[in-house]
Amino acid sequence: MNTWPGPANSWEGVDAYFTWADSPGMLVLITLVMACVCLGIIISAARHESETDKNTK
Amino acid sequence: MTLEELTIFATTQANVGMEAYYWWCTALMVIIHVGFLMYEVGATRMQNAVSSGVKNLLAFAFMIPTFWLFGWWIYLAFPGGFVPIDLEGYGAPWNVSMGPMLSDQATGVFWAAFTLFACTTASIFSGSVIERIRISAFVFLAVILGSVVWILGASWGWHPDGWLVTRFGFHDVAAAGCVHTIAGLFAFGVLLNLGPRIGKYNEDGTANELEGHSLVLSFVGLLTLIVGFFGFVGGCLIWGASDFGGWTNIYGAPATLSSFVFNMLMGLSGGMIGAFWYSRGNPFWMMSGGLAGIFICAGGLDIWYPGFAFLLGIVAGIVIIPANNWLHSTFKIDDCVGAVSIHGVCGILGMLAVGLFAAGYPAAGDIPPTNFMGQLISAAVMALVGFIPGYGISAIMKAAGWLRVPDHVQKAGIDKAELGLQAYHN
Repeated sequence: MNTWPGPANSWEGVDAYFTWADSPGMLVLITLVMACVCLGIIISAARHESETDKNTK
Repeated sequence: MTLEELTIFATTQANVGMEAYYWWCTALMVIIHVGFLMYEVGATRMQNAVSSGVKNLLAFAFMIPTFWLFGWWIYLAFPGGFVPIDLEGYGAPWNVSMGPMLSDQATGVFWAAFTLFACTTASIFSGSVIERIRISAFVFLAVILGSVVWILGASWGWHPDGWLVTRFGFHDVAAAGCVHTIAGLFAFGVLLNLGPRIGKYNEDGTANELEGHSLVLSFVGLLTLIVGFFGFVGGCLIWGASDFGGWTNIYGAPATLSSFVFNMLMGLSGGMIGAFWYSRGNPFWMMSGGLAGIFICAGGLDIWYPGFAFLLGIVAGIVIIPANNWLHSTFKIDDCVGAVSIHGVCGILGMLAVGLFAAGYPAAGDIPPTNFMGQLISAAVMALVGFIPGYGISAIMKAAGWLRVPDHVQKAGIDKAELGLQAYHN
């Protein structure tokens, strides 16, 4: 798991060091938000296409 | 230097070299997208040129997050079939290996290379459906193809533990099956439901040629794509860094970059020359033939005699045109760029060619040697893995009214109607 540089600013023993690497809950949350964003944008695009359909008739 | 220092030095050099290698393969594969973009936009009529480009770029953009979310995990988890194996969390997006990690120099670059393979797979499908697929529907189908379907096929047949490999000795080093066949047959399934562009077919069933607005952009795009293919084929070789003695193919057997480049170039030139002859000089088909020449050699890129790879390329260059014509006249599809014939048909021929002409090659470990039945069964599996979801999911989308752009929008031009843009101005 995450082993950020400690108070001494040492990189000794550091491994996974990305933001929230020591918080599985945050990682899962961010993943879910990502999935929702991707799906949401596809849905939004579909809605725009349907509007266009009506306006072009 | 002490022995320990020397060991650390050698290991570091090997690991950094491995990372850099796949980094540059990934970068080169982005050029495949530049090529596809030019190729598809050129093949599109002027009133839809922008939307074709947008659609193509969106496939690239959406493959990246979705392959990170679940595509990479699918590859690792399903070599045995439909039941996932226990990876102890590895490959899940919340796993520590899916981000910056000092002890792991491999996951990121391997994930990146596979993501670009996914982008390539989705792009193959992209060109066939231009000018009448809804952009949102296309993106959804591209995600299914690029981050689920092809990678499932890859887990089965492009993975040393894949069941097609361990049970049947399937040999397909440069992904003729899991990328090209699956993408081509997926496109075929969608095309059957999507329907042709307005004006493609007359009432008596005869077809009209609906030419794109820039043949030059198309064939320059195709050659650009081929430059990118050096990244794709390069990424098909495994550099195990400090774990292995040298290069291996995806199945763990010894291979060399030299063998790949010999056969890739010979297949490319054979395809170009064969298609040039058959099409009487049409540059679109000539360059498509070049691609097809690579795909027909892809299965055995590590083992062909280069002279034979050239002849296989000639066959591919000749076959793609009658195959495309037959598919259109029989099924009344409108495959705008010949994707089904170039990728689907030549991908299948590529897998079968290994069984016909390269049976008996040993593989690593307990993997059976190459054999015709193994290639035939695997080709059938890859074709079905592509066709069934392509046809089935697009049929549901069609029934829901979420597949095809309405005819009045098609006539008005998607660029103007949906994007409010115009590709060219006076």
